[in-house]
Amino acid sequence: MAAAAMRPSMGALGRISSSTPAVALRPLTQTASLSTTAALLKRHKYPGARDNKDHNKKRGESALRRTGTRWRLSMSDEPLPRPVPRSELPAIETDPDHGLWDFFPNRTTVANPPEEDAKHGRSWSVEELRHKSWDDLHRLWWVCAKERNRIATGNWERNKRRLGFGEAEATGRDREVRATMRAIKHTLTERMYTWQDAVKEATNDPEINLSGDGPAFTPRDYLEEGEAGVAEEDQVAEAAEETAEKTEPATTAAIPDPTTIPASKAQAEAPRL
Amino acid sequence: MATPVVAATEAVAQQLPRRFGNKQIFLLIPFALSECRPNHVVAFIRPKPRQPPNLATFVVPLTFNKLDLRDYLLHAYNVEVTSVRSFINQPTPRQKFGHMGKWYRPRSQKMMIAELVKPFVWPEAPAEKDREAFDHAIFTKMNKEREKHMKRQMDPSDIPLRTRMAEPKERTTLKEQAEEFLKSGEWTNGKQEGEKWSEVEKELSI
Repeated sequence: MAAAAMRPSMGALGRISSSTPAVALRPLTQTASLSTTAALLKRHKYPGARDNKDHNKKRGESALRRTGTRWRLSMSDEPLPRPVPRSELPAIETDPDHGLWDFFPNRTTVANPPEEDAKHGRSWSVEELRHKSWDDLHRLWWVCAKERNRIATGNWERNKRRLGFGEAEATGRDREVRATMRAIKHTLTERMYTWQDAVKEATNDPEINLSGDGPAFTPRDYLEEGEAGVAEEDQVAEAAEETAEKTEPATTAAIPDPTTIPASKAQAEAPRL
Repeated sequence: MATPVVAATEAVAQQLPRRFGNKQIFLLIPFALSECRPNHVVAFIRPKPRQPPNLATFVVPLTFNKLDLRDYLLHAYNVEVTSVRSFINQPTPRQKFGHMGKWYRPRSQKMMIAELVKPFVWPEAPAEKDREAFDHAIFTKMNKEREKHMKRQMDPSDIPLRTRMAEPKERTTLKEQAEEFLKSGEWTNGKQEGEKWSEVEKELSI
Protein backbone atom coordinates (compact mmCIF):
# COMPACT_ATOMS: atom_id res chain seq x y z
CA MET A 1 0.00 0.00 0.00
CA ALA A 2 2.82 2.36 0.86
CA ALA A 3 4.53 1.50 -2.40
CA ALA A 4 1.39 2.34 -4.31
CA ALA A 5 1.18 5.68 -2.56
CA MET A 6 4.78 6.43 -3.47
CA ARG A 7 4.53 5.56 -7.12
CA PRO A 8 3.09 8.84 -8.45
CA SER A 9 5.57 10.82 -6.42
CA MET A 10 8.50 8.91 -7.84
CA GLY A 11 7.20 9.62 -11.34
CA ALA A 12 6.95 13.27 -10.53
CA LEU A 13 10.52 13.26 -9.27
CA GLY A 14 11.77 11.93 -12.54
CA ARG A 15 10.00 14.65 -14.42
CA ILE A 16 11.24 17.52 -12.25
CA SER A 17 14.89 16.84 -11.95
CA SER A 18 16.00 14.38 -14.54
CA SER A 19 19.63 15.48 -14.20
CA THR A 20 19.97 14.53 -10.54
CA PRO A 21 19.36 10.94 -9.50
CA ALA A 22 16.39 10.34 -7.23
CA VAL A 23 18.61 8.56 -4.72
CA ALA A 24 20.57 11.70 -4.02
CA LEU A 25 17.39 13.55 -3.17
CA ARG A 26 16.47 11.05 -0.48
CA PRO A 27 19.28 11.05 2.04
CA LEU A 28 18.98 8.56 4.86
CA THR A 29 19.33 11.21 7.50
CA GLN A 30 17.40 14.41 7.26
CA THR A 31 19.80 17.36 6.93
CA ALA A 32 17.30 20.20 6.89
CA SER A 33 14.48 21.02 9.25
CA LEU A 34 12.02 21.43 6.39
CA SER A 35 11.51 18.79 3.79
CA THR A 36 13.63 19.57 0.76
CA THR A 37 12.63 16.73 -1.54
CA ALA A 38 11.14 17.56 -4.90
CA ALA A 39 7.49 18.39 -5.30
CA LEU A 40 4.95 15.70 -5.98
CA LEU A 41 3.22 17.94 -8.50
CA LYS A 42 -0.38 17.24 -9.18
CA ARG A 43 -1.92 13.93 -8.29
CA HIS A 44 -2.07 11.59 -11.18
CA LYS A 45 -5.49 11.80 -12.75
CA TYR A 46 -6.90 9.32 -15.16
CA PRO A 47 -10.35 9.22 -16.77
CA GLY A 48 -12.80 7.73 -14.35
CA ALA A 49 -10.55 8.19 -11.36
CA ARG A 50 -12.35 8.40 -8.11
CA ASP A 51 -12.70 11.85 -6.63
CA ASN A 52 -11.30 12.18 -3.14
CA LYS A 53 -14.24 13.49 -1.27
CA ASP A 54 -12.47 15.54 1.35
CA HIS A 55 -10.82 17.80 -1.29
CA ASN A 56 -7.73 17.89 0.87
CA LYS A 57 -4.96 19.71 -1.01
CA LYS A 58 -2.33 18.21 1.20
CA ARG A 59 -3.41 14.59 1.01
CA GLY A 60 -0.45 12.29 0.85
CA GLU A 61 2.06 14.78 2.25
CA SER A 62 3.85 13.29 5.18
CA ALA A 63 6.82 14.48 7.16
CA LEU A 64 7.39 10.95 8.45
CA ARG A 65 7.62 9.43 5.01
CA ARG A 66 9.49 12.50 3.67
CA THR A 67 7.21 12.93 0.71
CA GLY A 68 7.81 16.66 0.30
CA THR A 69 5.25 19.16 -0.82
CA ARG A 70 2.73 18.48 -3.58
CA TRP A 71 3.65 21.55 -5.59
CA ARG A 72 6.97 22.58 -6.86
CA LEU A 73 8.84 25.12 -4.74
CA SER A 74 11.20 27.76 -6.01
CA MET A 75 14.21 26.04 -4.46
CA SER A 76 13.22 22.49 -5.47
CA ASP A 77 16.03 22.19 -8.03
CA GLU A 78 18.57 24.24 -6.06
CA PRO A 79 21.46 22.28 -4.60
CA LEU A 80 21.33 23.11 -0.91
CA PRO A 81 24.47 24.41 0.78
CA ARG A 82 25.98 22.07 3.31
CA PRO A 83 27.12 23.47 6.62
CA VAL A 84 30.88 23.45 7.14
CA PRO A 85 32.25 22.96 10.63
CA ARG A 86 34.03 25.98 12.06
CA SER A 87 37.30 24.09 12.29
CA GLU A 88 37.36 23.44 8.53
CA LEU A 89 36.70 27.05 7.52
CA PRO A 90 39.68 28.86 6.01
CA ALA A 91 41.57 30.95 8.55
CA ILE A 92 40.86 34.67 8.43
CA GLU A 93 44.01 36.70 8.12
CA THR A 94 44.29 40.01 9.89
CA ASP A 95 45.66 42.95 8.00
CA PRO A 96 49.18 43.62 9.39
CA ASP A 97 48.42 47.35 9.18
CA HIS A 98 45.09 47.07 10.99
CA GLY A 99 44.53 50.06 13.23
CA LEU A 100 43.51 47.92 16.18
CA TRP A 101 47.07 46.61 16.53
CA ASP A 102 47.78 49.97 18.13
CA PHE A 103 45.93 48.75 21.21
CA PHE A 104 48.64 46.16 21.86
CA PRO A 105 52.07 46.88 23.27
CA ASN A 106 53.07 43.41 22.16
CA ARG A 107 51.44 41.50 19.32
CA THR A 108 52.08 38.04 20.75
CA THR A 109 51.20 38.22 24.44
CA VAL A 110 49.02 41.38 24.18
CA ALA A 111 50.09 42.41 27.70
CA ASN A 112 53.63 43.64 28.18
CA PRO A 113 55.67 41.60 30.67
CA PRO A 114 56.67 43.64 33.74
CA GLU A 115 60.29 43.82 32.65
CA GLU A 116 59.28 45.55 29.42
CA ASP A 117 56.78 47.78 31.16
CA ALA A 118 59.42 49.04 33.57
CA LYS A 119 61.56 50.30 30.69
CA HIS A 120 60.41 53.88 30.64
CA GLY A 121 61.88 57.25 31.40
CA ARG A 122 60.42 60.21 33.22
CA SER A 123 57.53 62.33 32.09
CA TRP A 124 57.89 65.58 30.15
CA SER A 125 58.26 68.59 32.39
CA VAL A 126 56.32 71.81 31.94
CA GLU A 127 59.53 73.72 31.28
CA GLU A 128 60.36 71.46 28.33
CA LEU A 129 56.85 71.71 26.91
CA ARG A 130 56.82 75.52 27.06
CA HIS A 131 59.12 75.53 24.03
CA LYS A 132 56.86 73.28 21.96
CA SER A 133 54.31 74.38 19.39
CA TRP A 134 50.63 73.61 19.53
CA ASP A 135 51.07 70.90 16.91
CA ASP A 136 53.75 69.15 18.92
CA LEU A 137 51.66 69.26 22.08
CA HIS A 138 48.61 67.96 20.25
CA ARG A 139 50.59 65.06 18.82
CA LEU A 140 52.15 64.27 22.19
CA TRP A 141 48.71 64.30 23.83
CA TRP A 142 47.43 61.64 21.46
CA VAL A 143 50.57 59.57 21.85
CA CYS A 144 49.88 59.63 25.60
CA ALA A 145 46.18 58.83 25.15
CA LYS A 146 46.97 55.80 23.00
CA GLU A 147 49.65 54.65 25.44
CA ARG A 148 47.10 54.74 28.24
CA ASN A 149 44.74 52.64 26.12
CA ARG A 150 47.55 50.17 25.53
CA ILE A 151 48.23 49.92 29.26
CA ALA A 152 44.52 49.47 30.01
CA THR A 153 44.26 46.71 27.38
CA GLY A 154 47.31 44.94 28.82
CA ASN A 155 45.93 45.23 32.36
CA TRP A 156 42.63 43.70 31.34
CA GLU A 157 44.32 40.84 29.52
CA ARG A 158 46.70 40.13 32.42
CA ASN A 159 43.90 40.10 34.98
CA LYS A 160 41.40 38.10 32.95
CA ARG A 161 43.90 35.53 31.66
CA ARG A 162 45.73 35.39 35.00
CA LEU A 163 49.04 35.81 33.23
CA GLY A 164 50.89 36.74 36.40
CA PHE A 165 52.48 39.80 37.97
CA GLY A 166 53.02 43.18 36.35
CA GLU A 167 50.37 45.48 37.76
CA ALA A 168 52.82 47.64 39.70
CA GLU A 169 55.00 48.22 36.63
CA ALA A 170 51.99 49.08 34.48
CA THR A 171 50.75 51.52 37.11
CA GLY A 172 54.16 53.19 37.25
CA ARG A 173 54.16 53.61 33.51
CA ASP A 174 50.64 54.99 33.54
CA ARG A 175 51.59 57.50 36.22
CA GLU A 176 54.37 58.93 34.06
CA VAL A 177 52.04 59.20 31.07
CA ARG A 178 49.44 60.99 33.14
CA ALA A 179 52.09 63.37 34.47
CA THR A 180 52.96 64.27 30.87
CA MET A 181 49.32 64.91 30.06
CA ARG A 182 49.00 67.10 33.12
CA ALA A 183 52.08 69.06 32.04
CA ILE A 184 50.57 69.62 28.59
CA LYS A 185 47.41 71.04 30.16
CA HIS A 186 49.51 73.21 32.46
CA THR A 187 51.48 74.60 29.51
CA LEU A 188 48.38 75.37 27.47
CA THR A 189 46.67 77.04 30.43
CA GLU A 190 49.68 79.25 30.96
CA ARG A 191 49.71 80.09 27.29
CA MET A 192 46.05 81.03 27.30
CA TYR A 193 46.37 83.32 30.32
CA THR A 194 49.33 85.10 28.72
CA TRP A 195 47.36 85.56 25.53
CA GLN A 196 44.38 87.00 27.43
CA ASP A 197 46.69 89.43 29.22
CA ALA A 198 48.25 90.44 25.91
CA VAL A 199 44.81 91.18 24.41
CA LYS A 200 43.95 93.30 27.44
CA GLU A 201 47.19 95.23 27.05
CA ALA A 202 46.60 95.70 23.34
CA THR A 203 43.19 97.32 23.83
CA ASN A 204 44.80 100.14 25.77
CA ASP A 205 47.70 100.50 23.35
CA PRO A 206 47.09 103.27 20.79
CA GLU A 207 49.55 101.67 18.38
CA ILE A 208 47.49 98.50 18.06
CA ASN A 209 44.28 98.24 16.09
CA LEU A 210 42.17 95.21 17.12
CA SER A 211 39.14 96.05 14.96
CA GLY A 212 40.40 93.94 12.08
CA ASP A 213 40.42 96.81 9.51
CA GLY A 214 43.80 97.93 8.37
CA PRO A 215 47.15 97.04 9.81
CA ALA A 216 47.05 95.77 13.36
CA PHE A 217 50.27 97.44 14.43
CA THR A 218 51.19 100.99 13.39
CA PRO A 219 54.16 102.42 15.24
CA ARG A 220 53.36 106.03 15.99
CA ASP A 221 56.74 107.68 15.81
CA TYR A 222 60.02 106.67 14.32
CA LEU A 223 63.39 107.52 15.71
CA GLU A 224 65.04 110.31 13.85
CA GLU A 225 68.54 109.67 12.71
CA GLY A 226 71.30 111.29 14.70
CA GLU A 227 69.07 111.98 17.70
CA ALA A 228 69.32 108.66 19.38
CA GLY A 229 72.51 107.00 20.44
CA VAL A 230 73.45 103.45 19.63
CA ALA A 231 72.58 102.26 23.12
CA GLU A 232 69.16 103.85 23.00
CA GLU A 233 68.51 102.36 19.60
CA ASP A 234 69.16 98.92 20.97
CA GLN A 235 66.73 99.47 23.81
CA VAL A 236 64.02 100.71 21.50
CA ALA A 237 64.56 97.79 19.15
CA GLU A 238 64.17 95.39 22.02
CA ALA A 239 60.98 97.10 23.18
CA ALA A 240 59.59 97.00 19.66
CA GLU A 241 60.32 93.33 19.41
CA GLU A 242 58.49 92.70 22.65
CA THR A 243 55.40 94.58 21.56
CA ALA A 244 55.47 92.89 18.19
CA GLU A 245 55.53 89.55 19.84
CA LYS A 246 52.60 90.46 22.04
CA THR A 247 50.52 91.79 19.21
CA GLU A 248 51.14 88.99 16.78
CA PRO A 249 47.98 87.05 17.64
CA ALA A 250 45.99 90.22 17.01
CA THR A 251 47.11 90.27 13.37
CA THR A 252 44.65 87.55 12.50
CA ALA A 253 41.26 89.08 11.97
CA ALA A 254 39.11 87.08 14.34
CA ILE A 255 41.69 86.83 17.16
CA PRO A 256 41.66 83.02 17.38
CA ASP A 257 42.47 81.19 20.53
CA PRO A 258 46.14 80.19 20.39
CA THR A 259 45.19 76.68 21.40
CA THR A 260 43.17 76.31 18.21
CA ILE A 261 45.39 77.91 15.58
CA PRO A 262 45.33 75.70 12.48
CA ALA A 263 48.39 73.63 11.70
CA SER A 264 49.65 75.74 8.83
CA LYS A 265 49.60 78.97 10.79
CA ALA A 266 50.71 77.60 14.10
CA GLN A 267 54.40 77.55 13.35
CA ALA A 268 54.54 81.06 11.96
CA GLU A 269 52.02 82.89 14.08
CA ALA A 270 51.77 81.16 17.41
CA PRO A 271 53.03 83.49 20.08
CA ARG A 272 56.29 82.32 21.54
CA LEU A 273 55.74 82.60 25.22
CA MET B 1 27.45 44.54 -9.53
CA ALA B 2 26.98 48.29 -9.22
CA THR B 3 24.47 49.79 -11.57
CA PRO B 4 25.18 53.30 -12.91
CA VAL B 5 22.54 54.75 -10.60
CA VAL B 6 24.08 53.10 -7.54
CA ALA B 7 27.56 54.17 -8.59
CA ALA B 8 26.38 57.75 -9.06
CA THR B 9 24.70 57.74 -5.65
CA GLU B 10 27.86 56.44 -4.05
CA ALA B 11 29.97 59.07 -5.75
CA VAL B 12 27.65 61.80 -4.48
CA ALA B 13 27.66 60.29 -0.99
CA GLN B 14 31.45 60.30 -0.93
CA GLN B 15 31.56 63.97 -1.83
CA LEU B 16 29.12 64.91 0.92
CA PRO B 17 30.72 65.94 4.19
CA ARG B 18 30.73 63.23 6.82
CA ARG B 19 27.83 63.48 9.15
CA PHE B 20 29.99 62.49 12.09
CA GLY B 21 33.32 63.50 13.53
CA ASN B 22 32.22 67.07 14.06
CA LYS B 23 31.82 66.93 17.82
CA GLN B 24 34.28 69.32 19.37
CA ILE B 25 36.17 68.46 22.49
CA PHE B 26 38.02 70.98 24.60
CA LEU B 27 41.11 70.49 26.66
CA LEU B 28 40.80 73.62 28.78
CA ILE B 29 37.28 74.11 30.03
CA PRO B 30 35.56 74.77 33.35
CA PHE B 31 35.44 71.89 35.76
CA ALA B 32 31.65 71.56 35.37
CA LEU B 33 32.12 70.43 31.76
CA SER B 34 35.15 68.29 32.48
CA GLU B 35 33.39 65.21 31.06
CA CYS B 36 34.00 66.67 27.59
CA ARG B 37 37.77 66.50 28.00
CA PRO B 38 39.52 64.06 25.69
CA ASN B 39 41.19 62.07 28.44
CA HIS B 40 39.23 58.87 27.95
CA VAL B 41 40.75 55.46 28.41
CA VAL B 42 39.46 52.74 26.10
CA ALA B 43 40.54 49.13 26.56
CA PHE B 44 40.30 46.53 23.79
CA ILE B 45 38.97 43.24 25.14
CA ARG B 46 39.71 39.70 23.98
CA PRO B 47 36.63 38.32 22.21
CA LYS B 48 34.67 35.37 23.53
CA PRO B 49 35.71 31.99 22.05
CA ARG B 50 33.01 31.85 19.36
CA GLN B 51 32.78 35.55 18.65
CA PRO B 52 33.25 36.27 14.93
CA PRO B 53 36.35 38.29 13.99
CA ASN B 54 34.41 41.28 12.69
CA LEU B 55 33.23 42.12 16.21
CA ALA B 56 35.54 43.99 18.53
CA THR B 57 34.73 44.60 22.19
CA PHE B 58 35.87 47.67 24.11
CA VAL B 59 35.57 48.87 27.67
CA VAL B 60 34.76 52.56 27.45
CA PRO B 61 34.06 55.35 29.94
CA LEU B 62 30.46 55.52 31.16
CA THR B 63 30.03 58.88 29.42
CA PHE B 64 30.77 57.41 25.98
CA ASN B 65 27.99 56.79 23.51
CA LYS B 66 28.00 54.71 20.33
CA LEU B 67 28.73 57.66 18.09
CA ASP B 68 31.64 58.67 20.31
CA LEU B 69 33.23 55.25 19.94
CA ARG B 70 32.78 55.33 16.17
CA ASP B 71 34.45 58.75 15.99
CA TYR B 72 37.18 57.72 18.38
CA LEU B 73 38.10 54.58 16.45
CA LEU B 74 38.05 56.35 13.10
CA HIS B 75 40.10 59.37 14.08
CA ALA B 76 42.51 57.93 16.61
CA TYR B 77 43.01 54.45 15.12
CA ASN B 78 41.78 54.74 11.53
CA VAL B 79 39.39 51.84 12.05
CA GLU B 80 36.09 51.91 10.22
CA VAL B 81 33.03 50.61 11.97
CA THR B 82 29.62 49.79 10.54
CA SER B 83 27.64 49.65 13.76
CA VAL B 84 28.11 49.69 17.51
CA ARG B 85 26.26 47.87 20.26
CA SER B 86 26.58 48.96 23.84
CA PHE B 87 25.69 47.66 27.27
CA ILE B 88 26.48 48.35 30.89
CA ASN B 89 27.62 45.73 33.37
CA GLN B 90 26.43 46.40 36.88
CA PRO B 91 28.68 44.70 39.42
CA THR B 92 27.24 42.93 42.44
CA PRO B 93 27.51 44.66 45.83
CA ARG B 94 30.81 44.09 47.61
CA GLN B 95 32.23 44.65 51.06
CA LYS B 96 35.18 46.81 51.83
CA PHE B 97 38.18 45.12 53.46
CA GLY B 98 37.26 41.63 52.33
CA HIS B 99 34.33 40.54 54.46
CA MET B 100 34.51 42.99 57.35
CA GLY B 101 33.66 46.44 55.99
CA LYS B 102 30.70 48.39 54.71
CA TRP B 103 28.68 47.13 51.78
CA TYR B 104 28.92 49.15 48.60
CA ARG B 105 28.31 48.70 44.91
CA PRO B 106 31.34 49.15 42.65
CA ARG B 107 31.04 51.55 39.72
CA SER B 108 29.33 50.14 36.65
CA GLN B 109 31.29 49.44 33.53
CA LYS B 110 30.30 50.21 29.97
CA MET B 111 31.19 47.90 27.14
CA MET B 112 30.72 48.38 23.45
CA ILE B 113 30.89 45.90 20.61
CA ALA B 114 31.85 47.43 17.28
CA GLU B 115 31.21 45.73 13.96
CA LEU B 116 34.38 46.19 11.98
CA VAL B 117 34.73 46.67 8.24
CA LYS B 118 38.05 44.80 8.28
CA PRO B 119 38.09 41.69 10.50
CA PHE B 120 40.59 41.46 13.31
CA VAL B 121 41.71 38.11 14.72
CA TRP B 122 43.29 38.20 18.16
CA PRO B 123 46.56 36.39 18.79
CA GLU B 124 46.30 33.22 20.83
CA ALA B 125 46.62 33.59 24.59
CA PRO B 126 50.09 32.51 25.75
CA ALA B 127 50.34 28.99 27.15
CA GLU B 128 51.33 28.44 30.78
CA LYS B 129 54.94 27.74 29.90
CA ASP B 130 55.19 30.99 27.94
CA ARG B 131 54.18 33.06 30.94
CA GLU B 132 57.53 32.94 32.70
CA ALA B 133 58.08 36.63 32.03
CA PHE B 134 55.11 37.29 34.32
CA ASP B 135 56.38 34.95 37.10
CA HIS B 136 53.33 32.83 36.54
CA ALA B 137 54.39 29.93 38.81
CA ILE B 138 54.84 32.08 41.92
CA PHE B 139 51.76 34.05 41.04
CA THR B 140 49.51 30.97 40.95
CA LYS B 141 51.04 29.57 44.13
CA MET B 142 50.46 32.81 45.98
CA ASN B 143 46.91 33.07 44.71
CA LYS B 144 46.14 29.57 45.84
CA GLU B 145 47.47 30.26 49.32
CA ARG B 146 45.56 33.50 49.52
CA GLU B 147 42.33 31.81 48.51
CA LYS B 148 42.84 29.14 51.13
CA HIS B 149 43.46 31.79 53.75
CA MET B 150 40.41 33.77 52.70
CA LYS B 151 38.25 30.67 52.90
CA ARG B 152 39.46 29.96 56.42
CA GLN B 153 38.76 33.56 57.41
CA MET B 154 35.28 33.58 55.94
CA ASP B 155 34.18 30.37 57.67
CA PRO B 156 36.31 29.38 60.69
CA SER B 157 33.86 26.60 61.57
CA ASP B 158 34.80 24.75 58.39
CA ILE B 159 37.63 22.73 59.92
CA PRO B 160 39.03 20.04 57.63
CA LEU B 161 39.08 16.41 58.79
CA ARG B 162 42.26 15.08 60.38
CA THR B 163 42.73 12.78 57.42
CA ARG B 164 42.55 15.74 55.03
CA MET B 165 45.04 17.86 56.97
CA ALA B 166 48.73 17.74 56.20
CA GLU B 167 50.72 15.64 58.69
CA PRO B 168 52.68 17.86 61.11
CA LYS B 169 56.46 17.64 60.92
CA GLU B 170 56.85 16.76 64.61
CA ARG B 171 54.67 13.74 64.14
CA THR B 172 56.79 12.43 61.31
CA THR B 173 60.08 12.85 63.17
CA LEU B 174 58.67 11.32 66.33
CA LYS B 175 57.53 8.33 64.35
CA GLU B 176 61.00 7.91 62.85
CA GLN B 177 62.62 8.09 66.26
CA ALA B 178 60.20 5.53 67.70
CA GLU B 179 60.89 3.11 64.87
CA GLU B 180 64.62 3.46 65.41
CA PHE B 181 64.21 2.82 69.13
CA LEU B 182 62.21 -0.33 68.50
CA LYS B 183 64.82 -1.58 66.07
CA SER B 184 67.96 -0.84 68.10
CA GLY B 185 66.41 -1.26 71.56
CA GLU B 186 68.16 1.75 73.05
CA TRP B 187 67.75 5.45 72.92
CA THR B 188 69.87 8.43 73.73
CA ASN B 189 69.35 12.13 73.72
CA GLY B 190 73.05 12.77 73.25
CA LYS B 191 73.75 13.47 76.90
CA GLN B 192 75.57 11.35 79.48
CA GLU B 193 73.75 9.83 82.39
CA GLY B 194 73.51 11.96 85.51
CA GLU B 195 74.68 14.99 83.67
CA LYS B 196 72.24 17.40 85.18
CA TRP B 197 74.63 20.27 85.68
CA SER B 198 77.43 21.05 83.37
CA GLU B 199 80.67 22.59 84.58
CA VAL B 200 81.63 25.92 83.18
CA GLU B 201 85.09 25.47 81.76
CA LYS B 202 86.28 29.00 82.03
CA GLU B 203 85.64 31.72 84.57
CA LEU B 204 83.04 34.10 83.15
CA SER B 205 82.43 37.62 84.34
CA ILE B 206 78.75 38.02 84.86
